[in-house]
Amino acid sequence: MSMLPQLLFTGIGIGSIYAMVSLGFVLLIRSANVVNFAQGEFSMLGAYLMLILLMSFHVPYFIALVVSVILMGVFGIVFGVITYWPLRTRGQIPVIISTIGAGILLENTVLATYGPSPQVLPGVFNASGVLVGNIFMDSQYLSIICTAFVLLALQYVIFEKTVVGKKIQATSQDRETAGLLGIPVVTLIFGIFFYSAALGGLAGILVAPILFVSVGIASVVALKAFAANIIGGFGSIPGAIIGGLLIGIVETLGAAYISVPYKDAYAFIMLIAVLLVRPQGLFGERVAEKA
Amino acid sequence: MLLEIKGLTARYNAGDVLKGIDLSVEEGEIVALIGSNGAGKSTTLRSISGLVANVSGSITFGGMPILGMKTGAIARLGLAHVPEGRRLFPGLTVRDNILLGASNRSGVSRSQMEREVDEVMDLFPNLKRLAGVYAWTLSGGEMQMVAVARGMMAKPKLLLLDEPSLGLAPMIVQQVFRIITEIRSRGATVLLVEQNANMALSVADRGYVLEAGTLLLSGKPEELWDNDHVRAAYLGGLAATA
Repeated sequence: MSMLPQLLFTGIGIGSIYAMVSLGFVLLIRSANVVNFAQGEFSMLGAYLMLILLMSFHVPYFIALVVSVILMGVFGIVFGVITYWPLRTRGQIPVIISTIGAGILLENTVLATYGPSPQVLPGVFNASGVLVGNIFMDSQYLSIICTAFVLLALQYVIFEKTVVGKKIQATSQDRETAGLLGIPVVTLIFGIFFYSAALGGLAGILVAPILFVSVGIASVVALKAFAANIIGGFGSIPGAIIGGLLIGIVETLGAAYISVPYKDAYAFIMLIAVLLVRPQGLFGERVAEKA
Repeated sequence: MLLEIKGLTARYNAGDVLKGIDLSVEEGEIVALIGSNGAGKSTTLRSISGLVANVSGSITFGGMPILGMKTGAIARLGLAHVPEGRRLFPGLTVRDNILLGASNRSGVSRSQMEREVDEVMDLFPNLKRLAGVYAWTLSGGEMQMVAVARGMMAKPKLLLLDEPSLGLAPMIVQQVFRIITEIRSRGATVLLVEQNANMALSVADRGYVLEAGTLLLSGKPEELWDNDHVRAAYLGGLAATA
């Protein structure tokens, strides 16, 4: 029982990463109706980009961080132009398949270039952490939690309280009518591609010192983030946050108290349980068709 | 002339929907475009708003050619389109739906927009009571009110209204047309597309009759009411009353 606070801290830390990547999913779903299965690859690319800037070009840490995140954003726009734009009028399925294909291409390109060996990325701070009561707060986990919470709060405010956020929601719900009202639909969608990729890249950079930089980071992060999205309620911002945190906590507690080898299974057991009890997810709305 | 259409042809995969129509709207007028289902009325409005890809001819708005322009750019020139079927954003509240009507205007502060939303809602019975309600929960009549209110938030030079009475109970239709009359009294210019020709002509200054993509007739409402073919086909055989 004395381990519990420590485990909760670790669970919230890793859950914050899932929440950030899950938010990337939600943003694209809500703005462009795109379910982007390459969201995990954004995290992988962000981590590799950071590694290259630090190790090959010896760029100072924080400059490398900012440059990586911005480059990831630009990559997000290119990704949107290639995978989404030509298929935007063909419905959801072709775009989903297109993002899956792009994800496979990205993963294998990185695998062919850098090989399968995991590489070490330094953390944000040199200090190992601080002891608060009985909890050792690892500096990397603290950085993750603080960054995630600031970004999540900011994103919630933008979506729910600002006119731009409402325009993004309107664009997602009916693109043609949004255009009729004079909403700059294309600019908003590509702005979201930029932000979504930057967010995914940042999540990858933050989690890499814990999970190491490898091609596998993409699928681990993406699957958990997607599960978080479903658990929280498809397309719900609070749902993505709570879903991500819950998965992080459950898998950490499961690994500590039940079995480590099944660590990755706990998220999906929870997913099935939530869907059985509440198919629309924790924060999803049950929308019925009006006659 | 605020809107001038010459030789407008629009084509979907199935063939020509509009076959070279000429139409004009003067500033301050309400112009009704009537015709049966499938005559090309909605396609005319969609062509004006840049929603139909395959169009030819010429459309000028305030003297500026707009054929081929993007939908958003046309909206920003001051043309608001209230589409058929209301097309509200179901996951946004009534207030947010109306607020977004001002998206075509630049340099308007949030507080100014909120004030204008209140003013516009005052014109419509019951809308204030529904301000916080999600649009998908509304009845057809309420949705129509919100759609028109959203169009008015654009402060448009020209308001395109597509079938505002479609699917509504007669009492609600009366209410919608009372609102259109109110809009007119505020000096707005309206191009109104309606199957309910009788109601449309009762509020219009001029009317056009569209049949199978071709303009059959145009003139003042009393001239259209006097026409035997129009009376038989679109006015249910009503005798001229104007």
